[in-house]
Amino acid sequence: MMSRHPIFQLSVKVIVTLFTLHVSFYTAFAQSVRDLIIQKPTYASCNYDVYPDSVPNNLTPAPKGKKPFYISHYGRHGSRYISSRSGFDTPFKMMAHADSVNELTVIGERVFDEMKLIMDDTEDRWGELTRYGNEQHRGIARRMVERFPEVFDGSARVSCISTIVPRCIESMGAAMVQMKQMNPKLRVTMEASQRNQWYMNHQDNKLRKGYMTPEAQKAYNAYISTRLGNSRLMELIFKNPDIVEEIVDEEDFNYYLMKMGLFQQNTHLRHHTYLQDIFLPDELYQMWQIDNALWYIQHGACKLNGGKQPTSQIPLLRQLIADADSCICLEKPGAQLRFGHETVLLPLVCLIGINGYDLVTDNLDELEAKGWWCSSVFPMGANLQFIFYRSSPKDKDILVKVLLNEQEAAIPIPTDCAPYYHWADFRKYCQEKLK
Amino acid sequence: MEHFYTSIAYRLTRFFVSGLLLTSAVTAAGQTVAEALQADPNRAAGNFYALPVGKMPKDTPAPEGKKAFYINHYGCPTSYYRESSELYEESYAVFAKADSLGKLTKLGQDVKRRLELVWRDAQGRTGELTSKGALQSRELTRQLVLRFPDIFTPDGYCSSRSIVQNNCLMTLLESTVQLSSMVKPMQINFMSSHREDRFMDPHDKRLEELRWDSLTQARYNRFMSLNSGNSRLMETLFNDQNYLIQAIDPESLSRQLFVLAGSIQHTDLSGYVRLYDLFTPDEIRSHWKKLNAKHYIQNGACTLNGGTQPFVQRSTLRNMIHMADSMLNRETPVMHLRFTRDDVVMALACLMELDNCGLQTDNLDALDDLGWVNYRIAPLGGSVMMVHYRSEPGDPDALVKVLLNGQEAHLPIETDCAPYYHWNDVKRYYLRKLYRYENIRLNEETKEE
Repeated sequence: MMSRHPIFQLSVKVIVTLFTLHVSFYTAFAQSVRDLIIQKPTYASCNYDVYPDSVPNNLTPAPKGKKPFYISHYGRHGSRYISSRSGFDTPFKMMAHADSVNELTVIGERVFDEMKLIMDDTEDRWGELTRYGNEQHRGIARRMVERFPEVFDGSARVSCISTIVPRCIESMGAAMVQMKQMNPKLRVTMEASQRNQWYMNHQDNKLRKGYMTPEAQKAYNAYISTRLGNSRLMELIFKNPDIVEEIVDEEDFNYYLMKMGLFQQNTHLRHHTYLQDIFLPDELYQMWQIDNALWYIQHGACKLNGGKQPTSQIPLLRQLIADADSCICLEKPGAQLRFGHETVLLPLVCLIGINGYDLVTDNLDELEAKGWWCSSVFPMGANLQFIFYRSSPKDKDILVKVLLNEQEAAIPIPTDCAPYYHWADFRKYCQEKLK
Repeated sequence: MEHFYTSIAYRLTRFFVSGLLLTSAVTAAGQTVAEALQADPNRAAGNFYALPVGKMPKDTPAPEGKKAFYINHYGCPTSYYRESSELYEESYAVFAKADSLGKLTKLGQDVKRRLELVWRDAQGRTGELTSKGALQSRELTRQLVLRFPDIFTPDGYCSSRSIVQNNCLMTLLESTVQLSSMVKPMQINFMSSHREDRFMDPHDKRLEELRWDSLTQARYNRFMSLNSGNSRLMETLFNDQNYLIQAIDPESLSRQLFVLAGSIQHTDLSGYVRLYDLFTPDEIRSHWKKLNAKHYIQNGACTLNGGTQPFVQRSTLRNMIHMADSMLNRETPVMHLRFTRDDVVMALACLMELDNCGLQTDNLDALDDLGWVNYRIAPLGGSVMMVHYRSEPGDPDALVKVLLNGQEAHLPIETDCAPYYHWNDVKRYYLRKLYRYENIRLNEETKEE
């Protein structure tokens, strides 16, 4: 993902002068998804992708005299174990069954051993933050303090809010442990309350249930029909693929086994890449396409279901604006950090239209070409940071810069100082989105 | 089971408990339970009393040359809102309904107003750590760092664990954040996982079945009825006897009010809203006695249900022993902070027979006189902590001191340097106790097969 960065920087400049042009214009210059997957196979696993250990430090200096004074943030929890057993059980039970009838090849047996190891390792840890996930948040917090020391100096206030899910709470703790190590004087508060769920983890039941309209289903089915299945994998693992047909569903087996393999990059088994390595790049790439299309239908402004899915995050955007409004009145507001989920972050990014993720289309084949790549938005540990700048507390021309996963991002509004935007313009633009 | 009762462990326990009886009815401050409840009725909340953090406990200097090198801590969550939203809603609803029918006295109307404040404050926060709880956790950790500077050093390692319960996890985080502001650099690792349940929140089906056997239940019910008398309170709140009889369950409402009275101390309403003023000192004591007896039956070595309930925590104690052994040769200091349910900490203190916690009796009425007092064992913010000392890595005569709620505790083991005990003696005593019980269980289970 990060290797996309130099081009991305260029693209930010393009959008400054020609902001009315669609984002697709410049993503065409970027690396292809397939290339990204070859470099980093977990990119194919979309929301199971792993946050990078380091990010390039190439932020554009702020306009003269402007200094960061407030940060508002929403971050996804770090790497976790898979949330529920069912994802792993699907291929595991098929393998166990095939094994019981002696249908596994030598490679199949090795695959089964790896699966057993993974199952044992995950037992009693479903959905829990991994050690790696903890470290990701320490890294993100460390870089935040290093990049914006003005916000975190002295006894600056850092107020954190997490959803009530333990992996988010732990992510919040990891970030705060890191910040306190860097500046013990910080005034830190942490909260994980039901009270804030209405905007921290807002799910719109109507939107959630209604995303797969008949039109969407039809288009999705047509899109994935050529991308399912993997007869090569069946030949590799089973002695007689035609015999095991009755107990192994090829499409499910391929999909879930691939996920199981890629998921391990989030855990301390990440050096066990045997499962991941049995898949060819094109197989991973096809899975990415399938998932990316589904994420778009679920959370993007997809025309096939009315394009309203991103509005699920209106409560959060409203809260972000209200918090900013009150914080910029303060002399030294510090930082407000929020810890939640990818099913919030992705639609929020789409709602605000960051980096062209507000793409509206009914053609799923367009997603890739037009740069709607969900993996770039919400790997484990993904985060959106709004950095506010001004020259002094009296300065009325407040600027804001948006960082998506710590990289400068573009918003579809005019500005004379990209990637900085005038807060008044950005606020007005967001208010329109709330209507 | 008979073997157990005649065992050396049991006799030793009796010996030490009887030795303590002379002083047990009064605390170190010289207060009886009745006086202590009168001085601060919040204590009546028992396990829901917030351990005061105002004054840092004092430490007896360690024997010459011995330095702390390992702490193993099992702590309760700090102040939090009650888990049950019904508790807040139902009690308010009873008063709201009675008020709409004109059945409340003036005091009753005022109580309704207070209950609404308490309910609104807790809305959407049930079971969550309060802001006082956050500060309490930080302060407890601050004191720990100040008390044991040999442990909290840049070459030290701190591993904190919590059960998967948000108030425990938040207590852990507040503690860890405090720690990271005091020791720099510090290797800190924390997690909340079901993986650790086997020793951080163990369950034992067989002991759980025994806990409320019919005899125990009958004795407890009788004890409850002897300590119930809610008519005075009800008459101060409601103005219509008929309504009281027909619409109100005095026992349940009185209990709810008592529980809420004890919950306010944890919130920002503390100091502004009170409910203990509704009760007379005798009523407060009666309510506390019932709660204390329940805790004793569930966690203590109550002979009514076999005196074996504390053994639910045997894997916890065994883990503590094994961890300590594995640290003896380690060069650098280690801190293990575990946060779990108050029941776990309470039963652990009983299993370890700290101070009066090992008490064995069937006399529920005499618990306070015999010194088995829930708020002294596992209040919110309370803990059982083993602090290990040695002169150097591999020291064959390592010592241990146990802190109950931060105070140096007495163990049922002989020593020449109390409150420090020779680790080998402590280990031998506890392992024998565990083996003995496990043998009994093994025999029982073999017979059943």
